[in-house]
Amino acid sequence: MVRRVWREDFRIIGYYTGLITIGVGLLMLVPMVTSLVFREWQSAIDFGLSIVLTLLVGYLLALISRTRNTPGLTHAMVIAAASWLVAMVLSAVPYVLSGHALSLLDACFDTMSGYTTTGLFLLQDLDHVSQGLNMWRHLLTYVGGQGIVVLALTFLIGSTGGAYKLMVGEGKDEKLVPNVRHIAVQIWRISLIYLFIGTAVLGILAIASGMKPQLAFFHGAYIFMSAWSTGGFAPYSQNMLYYHSLPMEIVSMVFMILGSFNFALHYAVWTGNRKEILRNVEIVSFTITVLTTFSLTCLALMQRGVYPNAVALFRRGFFQLISAHTTTGQSNIYARTLVREWGPLGMLALTIAMAIGASAASTGGGFKGMRMGIIFKGIVTDVRKLLSPERAIVVGHYHHIRDNTLTDGAVKSAAVIVVLYVLIYVVGAVVGMAYGYPMADAFFESVSAGSNTGLSCGITQATMPTLLKVMYIVEMWMGRLEFLSVFTLFGFIAASFRSLKRQKVAA
Amino acid sequence: MKRRIAVYLGMTILLLALVPGHVLAQEPPLVTTTELVEHSASWDGKTVSFRGEVLEDVLARSDGTWLNLSDGNNSAMGVFVPRTVSMPVISWTEDYRTIGDTVVVTGVFHRACADHQGETDIHATSVVVVAQGSTKDNPIHPGRVVWLIVLGLALVVVMWFYYRKPGEDPSVRGDSQEPRIRR
Repeated sequence: MVRRVWREDFRIIGYYTGLITIGVGLLMLVPMVTSLVFREWQSAIDFGLSIVLTLLVGYLLALISRTRNTPGLTHAMVIAAASWLVAMVLSAVPYVLSGHALSLLDACFDTMSGYTTTGLFLLQDLDHVSQGLNMWRHLLTYVGGQGIVVLALTFLIGSTGGAYKLMVGEGKDEKLVPNVRHIAVQIWRISLIYLFIGTAVLGILAIASGMKPQLAFFHGAYIFMSAWSTGGFAPYSQNMLYYHSLPMEIVSMVFMILGSFNFALHYAVWTGNRKEILRNVEIVSFTITVLTTFSLTCLALMQRGVYPNAVALFRRGFFQLISAHTTTGQSNIYARTLVREWGPLGMLALTIAMAIGASAASTGGGFKGMRMGIIFKGIVTDVRKLLSPERAIVVGHYHHIRDNTLTDGAVKSAAVIVVLYVLIYVVGAVVGMAYGYPMADAFFESVSAGSNTGLSCGITQATMPTLLKVMYIVEMWMGRLEFLSVFTLFGFIAASFRSLKRQKVAA
Repeated sequence: MKRRIAVYLGMTILLLALVPGHVLAQEPPLVTTTELVEHSASWDGKTVSFRGEVLEDVLARSDGTWLNLSDGNNSAMGVFVPRTVSMPVISWTEDYRTIGDTVVVTGVFHRACADHQGETDIHATSVVVVAQGSTKDNPIHPGRVVWLIVLGLALVVVMWFYYRKPGEDPSVRGDSQEPRIRR
């Protein structure tokens, strides 16, 4: 039975969504300052206008629904799902004002892609956008990777009673330390230290590759944010091809892998538990699936003789594979090369890697290594049970921070989420095929959107059908929030209508 | 008869003189990024001509220079200019506030270049600047400035209401008649 929805429920949801919206508005100060530094006056005004509009919406929401009550789990789920939608629309305003988005839908596509760390884009003439807009694009992925709610918790909301539930709603369900605000601070601390290191290293490499020093560190920051957040954006349409730099690709790959790891693993290693790297179920799962899918990639590329030598094959093949598996989406080949050169087997290898994806409670998407590990261990345990004497008690274990007992509930919930991911991958692919795209291409692009990867085989363009754009937006949103928040939002809306109906009947 | 042959010969020479020089010289075809990527196998190893705007960075390396040339909406190609090829002065490169020089590059297209670990690129044999870049007009829209002021004032009013002392604010409903929700 679904509970009744009260007016107070709306107040709680409105108030916290308002606070998160205020956070988004304040975030826009960064690109505005960037535009001012580069003397991009119109761009700075556009960001000023967007900031004022976003803050106005945020403060209005918070004002009209102000409450002292704290969110419960249902509220937290609804707040997480709703605030991502509100953030998507308001963050799209600078895109529309820049004139580089053909419509509000296209702009929303790009902002959802940014927040969900996907990396697909419909922006027009990317090679000529302002530094302010480029900063905004990359900042979206950086913040989206850590979580908008996490950001708001750190700076605006604090340790309210429902704060941890808010984080769970956004898919960050690792309790690193007892205090929820401290969890958020720890996540940001880890991310900001890496931001400093990454920007410095990539900036120096950009200068070494011949870039202008005044821009090199901005590019360093962009590429770091894109890699660490497993986002996949880059300041130019050629993506990583623009730099023609092997060292930059290697460093970027390292940050992609680091970004795809669970924040709990980062925290364990930072606090001295280095052995965790070798024992963690997600690392073991990641290593096995990377080796398997890379073998498949090599087979496909060698079969077709795509690259002239092993070094070329490794540089292109491994980078693409790691980009796909960590659900980043950076690319050192052209999008259409996948279709024209790599062929169906190569695309299948990348599709499998994207579908599996990164670690739980990381910046990445996909099924997640944790779930793959749990399901695999669940199958192994079941087989062991069948092979053991009937009276024997067979219990499975997996290691994540500590040794955990494998329960049927854990296996079931992992399997349910994996099934839901498969479902959105298939639905997206079917919509693509209905519009006449080849099956391999449609699956590749759908899995890329649903797993928040962002590699494209050429389908994602401003000219693609509107329904397909909406489908990919929904896939990105659901995939990033791992379904439950979105389903709770839908359920809440339905329950609201039912409560309204009851009220009318009573009246 | 001799006179007729002389007339035909004269007309042939005249016609040949009217034909554009590059047709006779068999200049390499002008190609686009889309064409090269979509049909990379058929262009592999062939000499092509490519025209595009020079993007932001001219990347000088020890063995040559990399140019990224934009030839349309989200479409660009990497061109490697070896040290042995004379490089013209690039005065303008693309920026939010500038339009880069337009160059025409003639060179060999590589589907997966062996020298650059599988990169899809053009190795230039000649680079010519055909149009100088310029500054770009990014005018300030007065309408947006007006909106900024109007919405800014509205924001100040809303913030004033929001930051008033909680006791003065009737919208704080901690004592709601509905049940306090803690799940």
